[in-house]
Amino acid sequence: MTMTQLDERLGETSVLPAARRRLHELLGQRFVRTIGVTVIVIAVVAIIAGLVSHSPDVVWQAIITGLLNGGVYSLIAMGLTLAYGVLHIINFANGSMLTLGLYLAYVAVHDWGMQPYVALLFVIPAMMAFGALTQKFLLNPVMNGASHNQLLVTIGLAVGLENLILLIAGPNPVSVTLPHGGSFSLFGATVDLGRLYAFVGAIAMVVLLSLILQKTPVGTAVRAVAANPVGASLVGVNIKNIYVLTFAIGGAAIGAAATLIAPFQSITPTTGDVFNLTAFVVVVLGGMGNVAGALVGGFVVGLTEQLAGIIFPEQSPLLSVFVVFLIVLFIRPRGVFGRAS
Amino acid sequence: MSAATDERALRSRAADFDWQSRMLPSRLLGAQSTTRGLVTYGVLFVVVVLLAALPFMIDTATMAIATRVLIFALLGIGWNVMSGFGGMFSFGHAAYFGIGAYTTAACVVHFGISPWIALVIGMALAVVAALVISWLAFRYRLAGAYYALSTFAFAEVLMLVAEGNDWLHRTDGIGLPVAPGESWWMFNFKLNSPNYYWIAVAFVGVALAVSISFTRARTGRFVVSVRDDEAAAAAAGINPLRYKLTAVAVSAAITAAAGMLYMEYYGFVDPTTAFNSSVSNNAIITAVVGGVGTIWGPLIGAIVTAPLTDLINGFLRNPPAGLEFLHGHSGLDLVVYAAILIVFVLFLPRGIYGSITHWIQRKRRK
Amino acid sequence: MKKSVTALALGTAVIATIALAGCSGAAAAGGGTAAKSGTKVDKVVIGSLHPETGSSAADGQAMDNGAQMAVDAINKAGGIKSLGGAKLELDKGDTKGTPDVASTEANREISDGAVALIGTYASGVSTTISALAEKAQVPFVMDISAADSILQQGYKYSFRVQPSATAIGTQGADAVAAIAAKNGVKLSKVGYLYDQGAGETSLEVAFAKEAKAKGFTVDTAIKYDSMSLTDATTQIAQIKAAGDTTLIVSGYYADSLAIAKSIAASGIKLDAVFGVGDGAYDQQTFLTDAPNGGEGYYNTNYAIAKSAEGQQFATDYQAKFNTPVRTGAALAYDAVQVIAAGLEDSGSADPVKLRDAIAAEKSYTGIAFGSGPIAFSSTGENTSARTVATQILGGKVTVVYPDDQATGTAKFPAF
Repeated sequence: MTMTQLDERLGETSVLPAARRRLHELLGQRFVRTIGVTVIVIAVVAIIAGLVSHSPDVVWQAIITGLLNGGVYSLIAMGLTLAYGVLHIINFANGSMLTLGLYLAYVAVHDWGMQPYVALLFVIPAMMAFGALTQKFLLNPVMNGASHNQLLVTIGLAVGLENLILLIAGPNPVSVTLPHGGSFSLFGATVDLGRLYAFVGAIAMVVLLSLILQKTPVGTAVRAVAANPVGASLVGVNIKNIYVLTFAIGGAAIGAAATLIAPFQSITPTTGDVFNLTAFVVVVLGGMGNVAGALVGGFVVGLTEQLAGIIFPEQSPLLSVFVVFLIVLFIRPRGVFGRAS
Repeated sequence: MSAATDERALRSRAADFDWQSRMLPSRLLGAQSTTRGLVTYGVLFVVVVLLAALPFMIDTATMAIATRVLIFALLGIGWNVMSGFGGMFSFGHAAYFGIGAYTTAACVVHFGISPWIALVIGMALAVVAALVISWLAFRYRLAGAYYALSTFAFAEVLMLVAEGNDWLHRTDGIGLPVAPGESWWMFNFKLNSPNYYWIAVAFVGVALAVSISFTRARTGRFVVSVRDDEAAAAAAGINPLRYKLTAVAVSAAITAAAGMLYMEYYGFVDPTTAFNSSVSNNAIITAVVGGVGTIWGPLIGAIVTAPLTDLINGFLRNPPAGLEFLHGHSGLDLVVYAAILIVFVLFLPRGIYGSITHWIQRKRRK
Repeated sequence: MKKSVTALALGTAVIATIALAGCSGAAAAGGGTAAKSGTKVDKVVIGSLHPETGSSAADGQAMDNGAQMAVDAINKAGGIKSLGGAKLELDKGDTKGTPDVASTEANREISDGAVALIGTYASGVSTTISALAEKAQVPFVMDISAADSILQQGYKYSFRVQPSATAIGTQGADAVAAIAAKNGVKLSKVGYLYDQGAGETSLEVAFAKEAKAKGFTVDTAIKYDSMSLTDATTQIAQIKAAGDTTLIVSGYYADSLAIAKSIAASGIKLDAVFGVGDGAYDQQTFLTDAPNGGEGYYNTNYAIAKSAEGQQFATDYQAKFNTPVRTGAALAYDAVQVIAAGLEDSGSADPVKLRDAIAAEKSYTGIAFGSGPIAFSSTGENTSARTVATQILGGKVTVVYPDDQATGTAKFPAF
């Protein structure tokens, strides 16, 4: 199988519109139906929330907050879905790596006086290097082994990172302030600027990652390894290098996510834990390895959390999130949009 | 839906998280001859006797650590039956642990029922829960990482349900009041009574005996053959679903017993203690460090990993000359612990016991 | 065959290792146990149990620091005089916030000779340790642990320095009513946002009950999960829709901060935001993290007293650890001091006699604000424990209620 043939085969299942043919497939019946069903379900839930709260303002705010939070969730899940899609690793250290990125952003802004978004220029390469080194020295040696070994390495990494940060930075919360932050009202709903930027960042990241995966030779190699490692190595792809590259891109994605959420997130050594659970849910809902799916998965989680908080005030909103997760898992075992690569 | 379609679906989906195919060949697992079986039980007997003799050699603080080691071992043994022998990766064993712990708490505090009866109820409830979730998962053809994450989500759901349930005292959790006197029936002894430890030894002994007989019996061998090659097993007339569910049930029951032991020994449970992902992680860590898919692996893994932070802290509390600067840094113990875990996986990918047997096998072949 | 023999050899080896480790541990512990028997002792060990790692590490480490400062202060002043000037020693244990690790650590400390325990910040962990202390007959003085249920078991060996959750909630409602009345505001209803955790739920229940007695109601009570709340705009929209102009908050640091940010972002018109036992609105870090420096925010909670000792402690802490003091450190300080007073009175390092002395103690006035010397009720509650109301005024956390502790005047409406 040549590289081009491989590329074409991969193209058949890809999600982002890289060409009209693909766009056509993308807007195929299944996709439209899925989006349709999702929107209808959310609309019904929103109406129920409106009936419960007797206030359209509250529901409108919940939808806006849910979408904005959803952007944050999908941003954080991007690296996780990539690691799973290509490496088939459940990266339990995703949350701790986020924490590391948050502290790097804090150092860049607080100690070096960088503008919070200029810090991206430092945090992304730093986290990329961290990802590459982690894969090369900790994960590559166990890639041929059982997957519980890979999971255990990431669990070890999570515990180690969290406490290393605690040792170095101490336990007190720190924060990054946005100089020109603020908020505006969108038909009565509050929109925080920092969150809006993160939301835009999430969409930009989906486009960027999809372009890298679809349009570059490197991306083709990555997708080839994801789909068929043996075949890819037969056509001359160095699989271990691709693994390193993938985890590096995943690290970069986490770095970007960390910098974008730093301006509105209180930062402690355990901050990443809060997002670890939701990130798993987002990844599975969107289809593991599916970057665009993670965005939709994030919206579903964000909206579920906000609306469920209104409808079931006595329960933790996370309960509804996990129940939705299990239901979707049983109905669509491959996630709402299936796997991309 | 017929069993046959189920199997095909499961098989096609198992490929994307094929972690077991690279595992030890199943012939390493079960001894076929009766003599070997007797030797294995003999070893178990000696191990239990040695463990039981421990309280005569150690102080009470070490006994508290040893008891925790045994609870971890029980978790690992339970996880190993389903995920090691059965090949169904569970990332949510906290669910069964928590059910065991909460059932005990509720029975004792709300009804004054003996913990031993609670143990039976808790195990039964855990088995039912495990069967329901696994049956659903297999019915809906979840495999590999998707199955793992569905068990994870199930444990989370139980945690959040417990947090919102008045009868289970919500996030307050349930504490066992200290009762005067000693009673075997109510599982109540003096502090540092070796009885707690001995009961834990008995639990581990029984769990190990169950694992041994499970792998030796036809059921267990079928479970392993389904794990190794489901299609071949199905072709040989084995119903994969049935044997998978059997492994799941045995696993959940052992894990629930660990939960009951935790509840009785520490006297407290809340939603986080019971259902947090760290409980599931501990089950996995114990089994993986010792050797997945081996009888003795989880016990060895527990003995190595469970007291690790205590040992490191003991070292850091009175560091040797020249290393005093290490003293008094909170979190250092966990950093070292994490590093040791990673080193174990990198250098002993088959686990301690698995690596040793593998090494012996290779030497014999030469 | 060979495999099983390997297992046997391996098993024996590990068990022998544990036994050896145990023996050496026992030998090391020998020194401490002597403290229990004789009257002439060189040192007395107090075991501390705090979460030095994990999500509560900031408080846990601060409390360790506070306890250490008490030990240092006592030793500097000549140790326990009735024990011939015996020095105090703090044996610090990291609970990691879990009952099993805490329990193992407590066992270790007791067998290493600890005559009393302090801790543990988390109510669940304290439930476990109070049962353990009861069985071990070693006094356990809680610095922070709010749940009422811990001291409702009839235990003899457990004491608590801080006010219970019910006390904080009740006194919180009193403070809100008093501050509003003093500023001529007629309060009829308030909104309440609280974490679903055990402590916060008890706070809300106690607050609502007392509010009724004071003539106002909790109109909209919204529960949230601090595990996932990073943005509270929806909850604030609910408060806005209900028309509540005074908001009560009971939560941890990160979620309370998120609420403050959402309030600022939404532009809702509120008269006041009161924390009740809240983890953010009286913290120094909140001043830098919150919009507009958190100006005007109230909190009602236990606090460091206005007394010279209290203020000296805050200054010393800042100097020694280069970080602003947390109130938990003062409570841990008081817990050690109460134990030391008990040792002084009983003239014995026997834990049973020490327990009786602590139960009868009334010679030590805490550096955390109280109505007088620390004294314990028959259930072990500190009868003098009180809360204060603070407000952030001019960039400083200022005590505004009760009047004898106040260093500033409450502003209501606050914004």
